[in-house]
This record gives sequence, structure tokens and C-alpha cells, in this order.
Amino acid sequence: MMEKHRIWPYLRSLFGGVLLVLMFAVPCFAGVPTDGIKETTDRILAIVSDPALKGPENKNKRGQLIRTTVDERFNWEAMTKRSLSRHWRKRTEAERKEFITLFGKLLERTYLDKVGSYSGEKVIYVDETIDGKYGTVTAKILTRSETEVLVLYRLKNTNGEWRVYDISIEGISLVNNYRKQFNSIILRSSYDELVRKLRKKVAEKD
Amino acid sequence: MRTDVEGKQFMGFCKRLWFVLVFGLVLWGIQGHRDTTLAAPFDSGEDAASLQLSMAGHELVQTARLDEETAKASVSEGKAASKAEKPSEEPEDSEEWPEDELSEESFIPDPLEPMNRAFFAFNDAAYFWFFKPVGKGYSVVMPEVLRFSIRNFFTNLSMPIRLVSSLLQGKIKSVGMILVRFVVNSSAGFLGFQDVAKQALDYPVQDEDLGQVLAFYGIGPGFYLNLPFLGAGSLRDTVGWVGGLYLNPLDYIVEEFWFNMGARAFDMTNKTSLRIGEYEALKDASLDPYVAMRDAYFQYRLNQIEK
Repeated sequence: MMEKHRIWPYLRSLFGGVLLVLMFAVPCFAGVPTDGIKETTDRILAIVSDPALKGPENKNKRGQLIRTTVDERFNWEAMTKRSLSRHWRKRTEAERKEFITLFGKLLERTYLDKVGSYSGEKVIYVDETIDGKYGTVTAKILTRSETEVLVLYRLKNTNGEWRVYDISIEGISLVNNYRKQFNSIILRSSYDELVRKLRKKVAEKD
Repeated sequence: MRTDVEGKQFMGFCKRLWFVLVFGLVLWGIQGHRDTTLAAPFDSGEDAASLQLSMAGHELVQTARLDEETAKASVSEGKAASKAEKPSEEPEDSEEWPEDELSEESFIPDPLEPMNRAFFAFNDAAYFWFFKPVGKGYSVVMPEVLRFSIRNFFTNLSMPIRLVSSLLQGKIKSVGMILVRFVVNSSAGFLGFQDVAKQALDYPVQDEDLGQVLAFYGIGPGFYLNLPFLGAGSLRDTVGWVGGLYLNPLDYIVEEFWFNMGARAFDMTNKTSLRIGEYEALKDASLDPYVAMRDAYFQYRLNQIEK
């Protein structure tokens, strides 16, 4: 399609690719944000390239491994809270729990789908900032077509663990993007409709 | 000779058509929605009720109202904080987030949403029924390395757009990079087929366009405009894009109409073949792909303009 701007490679990385680069976590974990991300990433790459886990028959096992890794690195709760933003306040405890699980699954699944298409991207860590409880890690992904994609991970330190609560590429923040979608759906119809859509989306991928 | 002239005239006609289309859209947008989102969307009071009734301003107005309510609520909560009326999660809820992120709560007006959505659906169908199969077929015939080279060639060719845009914005460093890139890639890179400047000098492509120039001189995005084949855009960026057509050397090098169209179609097919999977990724991950695209576009342009 004749697109006016070079936005697509970034979008692809944002919705899937980045998570791809991202996922792996080690249970016991160093205190520095970059180390954490790096560890996670390296582990995911290891799982993806492990010959013993290749092939369709190992798909579930591989998915399971990756999911555990990802769960440890991502702060799904903070992501959900920020994505629902003003609507979070009105939800009951049970609704919140359900939404966190569903949203986390959605992001994981989209990512898992892409694992098969991993094609030798290189990751370089360029920068890191820490400001109190919050930190950012910047990574440069070199895709096969030699497009450079700068990824910014936003992390928050909870109980000594740095966990990701947002990812942005070329200024496009994942959480902001979902916030607009959630807000739009809730205002157009209702929260229940949003949950129904989310559930359907997650189920589609099973 | 005659065909040359005809071809030129036709290209000129196409461009004029685009201008007419764009200005028509502006007029339509202003006419039909003068009293909704293009006017102050955050006006409260008696106007707000009528605003809420109109389809176009629906979402934005509601959001604004909700924000207002939330703001009021949090003020009163702050006062009542000592009374501990709220359950225990409240302190965590009002937790401070880093400053820069809170300011990202902004959006692009979309008064033409019904039309944009229709075109979005059209582009979706065009992609899956036409562009994707064609791109796939093409990639079977053409090895990937060659496709990258062809892409590089066309990118190198469209250098004047980036050069003029950087010049107009006074980005001296970008201008230098663009010139060096062009000279190096056109010679050592075999007419631009190899991106030597990127590999050897680490000079990346400078993404500059006339839309950014307009923004540099203080022109806002106007409103969101999703057009057939062209995809996401804003009024300002579409105008910039049309202007950019005049800076594309392809039209001056290949003047004969069908050859020109052929070259464009080839460029497009080549690009599409390298892009397969990108649109699917967006569609797959989002609950409302239209809104996801609109917001992604908005955030992306904001970032580009700030650079």
C-alpha cells in the first residue's frame, strides 16, 4: 500500500516484534533495569532458538516457557491501570483482576504468535536512566532490512524488582495506544462490551 | 513527442485533482462540523449538551467531560482524604507517574470519522485482496536482497523532498547528512541500490517531509484524514504530501505517463512485498484497529515533529 510515512516498521515492532525481543526472565534478578531486560531478552532468544523446543509439537511447551518468563518481567497491573486510566477507578476488585489477566494474555499472545517468525534481529542496549522509582531502558533493534528501531522500555521499581509497564517506539507508546482504544470502546458502548471484545480476542488465539 | 506532453498533462491533472479533493475535504469539514469538534471541544455549559448529541464530537466531548468529573472528584477526594472514605487502594491509585507521560494525554480531532472508517475498511479490503497477493507473488520471483536494493534506490531518488524539508526547517545537520548520503549512495552505492552511507558512515535516512515543515511553522494537524490507498494522515500532512509530489524527481526523469505509472507501481509492489505482516500485526493486537492506527499515527508524527 502506498503509505505516506515510514510508520509501519515501527508499528510492527510495537505490536509483537518488541515483545519478541523482550521476553525472558530469570527468577532471581539483579537490581539494575537493563540487566533485567537483557536477561529476559536473552532467555527468550534462547528458548526461541533452542533446537529441542522447535517444531509444532513443542509449541505449547515453548509458549508456556516464554509466558512464565514474560510474566516475571512485565507489570501487567500497572499497564492495565494506566491503559484504563480514568475508567480504572470505577471498576470493582474482581473486574480489575479479570481485566489484568485478559490484557496480559492479549499482549503475550500477540507476542507468541510472532515468535515463529523470529529472523535474526540484533539488539543493542543504548541508554538507561533512573529517576527514583522509575527508569527507562533504550534498546536499538537492527532488523534484517537494516531498519533501526529504537525501543524505549519504561520500568518501575516495585519491591526491588524493575518491571516494565510501558514500551514505546518512535514516540508511539503501547499503553497510550491501548488507552485510546479502551476509552473509545467504553464511551461508544460500555465496559462490558470492552471485556467481551477482549475475551473474544484472547480466545481467538488459543 | 505527443505522448510526452499528454503524459505530463495527465500527471498535472492528477495532482490538481488531489488539491481539489483536499480543499473540498477542508470545506466539508469546516462546514459540517463548525459547531462541534473544530470549535472548542471542551466548552462546558449549555453548549456541551448539544455537542454531545452530535455524532462527530461524541467521543472527544465525552472524554473531556469525564476528565472534568474525574478532576472534580479527585479534588474533593483530596479534601476528604483525612476522612479515609476511600478504600485502601486509593493511595496507590493517586500515585504519581513521571511528568512527561501524563502530558501525553492528547489526541487528534476526527470530525470525519464515518468517512475515515469507510476508507479504512476499503484499504483493509484492498490490502488483503489485492496488494498482499501481488506483493507475495512478487516476492516469490524477486529475492529479498534485490528487493532491499530496489527500495534503497527509490529512497535515494526521493532525496529532494527530504532535502527541501530539512532546509526549510533550518536543520543544518540533517541537510549535511542528506547531501552526503546522496553523493555517497549515488556513486559508491551504485545509483543508490546500496545504502553505503548507512553501513559505512552510520548516516541513517532522515525522515523529513513537507508536513513537518508546515508543523515547524506552527500549523496544527487539522484533523485526521484516512484516505483510500494513502492510509493514515492528517489534513496538514496530506497537503504536505501533495506538495512533495512536485519534488519527486521521478516525474521529471520519467515523463511518459505509462512508464511513470509503471515505475510507481513497481516501487509500490516492491515496498508492499517488504511490508507484509505489518498491517496484520496491528490488526491482530488491537481491539479497534482504526483507533489504534489513528493514535499511533498521531503519536508518531508528534515525535517526528519534535525531533
